[in-house]
Amino acid sequence: MTGVARAAASYTSREARSVVESLRAAGAALRSRTSFDLVRALGRAGRRFADPTDPLRMEAEAALPAEAGVSPQMSRNIIEGMAHGWETGALETLLRAEFPDPAVLDEFRPNGLGQELKAFGGTFAFHIGSGNVAGVGATSMIRSLLVKCPVLLKPGRGDVVLSSLLVRALGETDPDLAKAAVAVYWRAGQGGYLESLALSEADRVVAYGGNDLMVSLRSRLHPTTPLVAYHHRLSIGGVTRESLRSVSQATDVAKAAAGAVTAFDQRGCVSPQIIWVEEGAQVEPLMWAKLLSEQLRTLSATLPPGAIDPASATRFQQLAGTFEVKQAAGGAHRVLGRNLERGVVFFDPEPQVSSTLTVACRAVIVKPIPDLTGLPDLLGPASRVLQTIGLAGPVERRRALASSLANLGMTRVTTFDRQPWPPAWWRHDGTEPLRALVNWVELEAED
Amino acid sequence: MKPENHDLLDEDGFNRLAVEVFHYQVEANPIYGSFVRGRAVDLVHLEDWKEIPALPTAAFREMPLGSLSSRPAEAIFRTSGTSHGQGARGVHAIHDLSLYRDSLIGAAKRFLLPAFGNPPVAETIKNNIRFLFIAPGPEELPDSSLLFMFGAWMREWDDGGGRFLADSTWRIPKDRLRQELEACSRTMTPVLLGGTAFSFALLLDEIGDSGAPPLPIGSVVVETGGFKGRVRSVPRPDLYRAISRTFGIPTTRIVNEYGMTELLSQFYEPVLLEGGPEDPERRRHLGPPWVRTLILDPYTLEPSRDGDLGILCHMDLANLDSVSAILTDDLGHAVDDGFRIMGRAEGAEARGCSLIVEELARATQALPDK
Repeated sequence: MTGVARAAASYTSREARSVVESLRAAGAALRSRTSFDLVRALGRAGRRFADPTDPLRMEAEAALPAEAGVSPQMSRNIIEGMAHGWETGALETLLRAEFPDPAVLDEFRPNGLGQELKAFGGTFAFHIGSGNVAGVGATSMIRSLLVKCPVLLKPGRGDVVLSSLLVRALGETDPDLAKAAVAVYWRAGQGGYLESLALSEADRVVAYGGNDLMVSLRSRLHPTTPLVAYHHRLSIGGVTRESLRSVSQATDVAKAAAGAVTAFDQRGCVSPQIIWVEEGAQVEPLMWAKLLSEQLRTLSATLPPGAIDPASATRFQQLAGTFEVKQAAGGAHRVLGRNLERGVVFFDPEPQVSSTLTVACRAVIVKPIPDLTGLPDLLGPASRVLQTIGLAGPVERRRALASSLANLGMTRVTTFDRQPWPPAWWRHDGTEPLRALVNWVELEAED
Repeated sequence: MKPENHDLLDEDGFNRLAVEVFHYQVEANPIYGSFVRGRAVDLVHLEDWKEIPALPTAAFREMPLGSLSSRPAEAIFRTSGTSHGQGARGVHAIHDLSLYRDSLIGAAKRFLLPAFGNPPVAETIKNNIRFLFIAPGPEELPDSSLLFMFGAWMREWDDGGGRFLADSTWRIPKDRLRQELEACSRTMTPVLLGGTAFSFALLLDEIGDSGAPPLPIGSVVVETGGFKGRVRSVPRPDLYRAISRTFGIPTTRIVNEYGMTELLSQFYEPVLLEGGPEDPERRRHLGPPWVRTLILDPYTLEPSRDGDLGILCHMDLANLDSVSAILTDDLGHAVDDGFRIMGRAEGAEARGCSLIVEELARATQALPDK
């Protein structure tokens, strides 16, 4: 089966059953292969997306702007960034990071405690994507196949192309492996028999989405079916005063931060929605916000934003107008570079997180803070939903902040450069990416 | 939009008043004045109301935007806060409630009362309509501009038997509506049954298959929108069909009122004047003569081309004591002499996996309310 064949609702119960059964049947062949063999096979398919001359890569590049609302230049960046994690080397690193002895996926292995252990991925998993961040579904499928579990993927609305092209790439490079992966898109509530069957029979469900999706899934799944839930998350940024000792240094930080803001037009869970900047350095927070605005404008020339939907533009106008009103009332609020085509910085002099509108497009809020050690207090209400912080500063300050932010639930402290592109082996939301997809079976020795 | 609907104030008359009100507000309201000057508006030469800078509705959640009137506020109305968390409710201070009362009565007289008789007759119809609201009374929630409006209608036109059927938590005692409707049926008294769309959806769930007494002939249902920020939402055509079926009333007697705390004027679907259309998605909204609407390009805030989707921006002269030019977060497009709303802006957003800051309040709550 290659990619998105048709609307899920049109599957009869018999056809839906056939999809699930054929996936289960493909599992036998999957389990007979070694994990390293699978790494190589998946890497061969993944590498095609890293090759700009590959027809599949070209097809993905052409289709992504319309589907995911990104510009052609962003489309290239996103595919390259994602494909980097799908290549053999990255997948092998992921495998070894998760399973120091990867053979536990192939056979029972001694654990040094008198037992033998094997990791089972299951006979059939159901993965559900949402939203329009491209590559999430393909990555999720690859992980399932790495633990030898056939997978049915319902990709997000803006993530159909890469998911279905990955299935096609597998079909062309390794047809047996391709039989273990199916991607079918449907709109929420229109999954018909296929969705019902998948939810009732999957050994494991992996879902990316908002609270409403998770609440709905929990109510529909059998209580014993594991749900690996990747919620929508809030990521942020922080700039220490040590990074603001000169305009040149501050500009470099602003350039890296502009890259993090630009990569997914602020729609990724890794995207920094608010950046706190320490006061008291040579470059003050408002000045740094202006530098960031300039860097966003510069970057927009080579990496223009994607299409902005009217609803996002409407929210932007509300936010921009509100900042103008606050400025009119004597506040130090500023809207820097009021042009969505070039990226917009909202400077908010209040360090606190307010319930002010934000927008899912190339716009970012910059706030001053006396010292980033105060950040945990400000972020307290958001502790359930935090994920990544891009942090500019010396290593000792990064380490100290990492510990205090970890207590709040922050799961990744990185640099602005790396913020949009976590490695293939990152612990997404603090979860081990492959170990979350397996059950351990213990084989105990006779006395 | 064409001016035919605004027969009481022609374009020139409206423009003159609007510009005059604008100058008054720039002087009387320092924050708005500073906002306008920040937009580099030529105050001396501004002659067209369409060039008046509009204040975003979100700004009402950030600070009090009433004028610095020497009079104390007669009422403080607050937005429901359902979309943005309880801590971020918009505030609209009203210094002259009589203006709001005149505005809401005038609009209702124009768009609702014809259902109960021709406009000239409407002046004499008091004591012939029973007002029933699936909402608490205005005394229960004095900061609700919606309930104030319901109360004003009732005082103006109710036959004396009208009721607010819900308590302060918006719950309706079991069988209360049934008893009221049966009483109206016995006396053949036409009813105006009003409430938010959300309240109607919950009411219909509760009634379920047990049914309700039909509304007497000549009755009208007024729903005021109101799914924004709610987890429970029903498409309008489905809601109207269900109301029609449950209460035995044609869908052409079900009217949407579109208003907001930030505006002292309201818009209505003119179905009671025109007899249709039945399908709510093919209807349009009209306002009273003292409010005009622009459809603005969401990207530039320039006027949209005819028929294009844009942001609804209202110039409401009834907002005399705050700011008349209001930029909403509603998208719509011009239809004939009115506009059609495309749903609140947050509905159709392209979304990724990032949580936006605004959602924090909701995301950190344990579970959605229903």
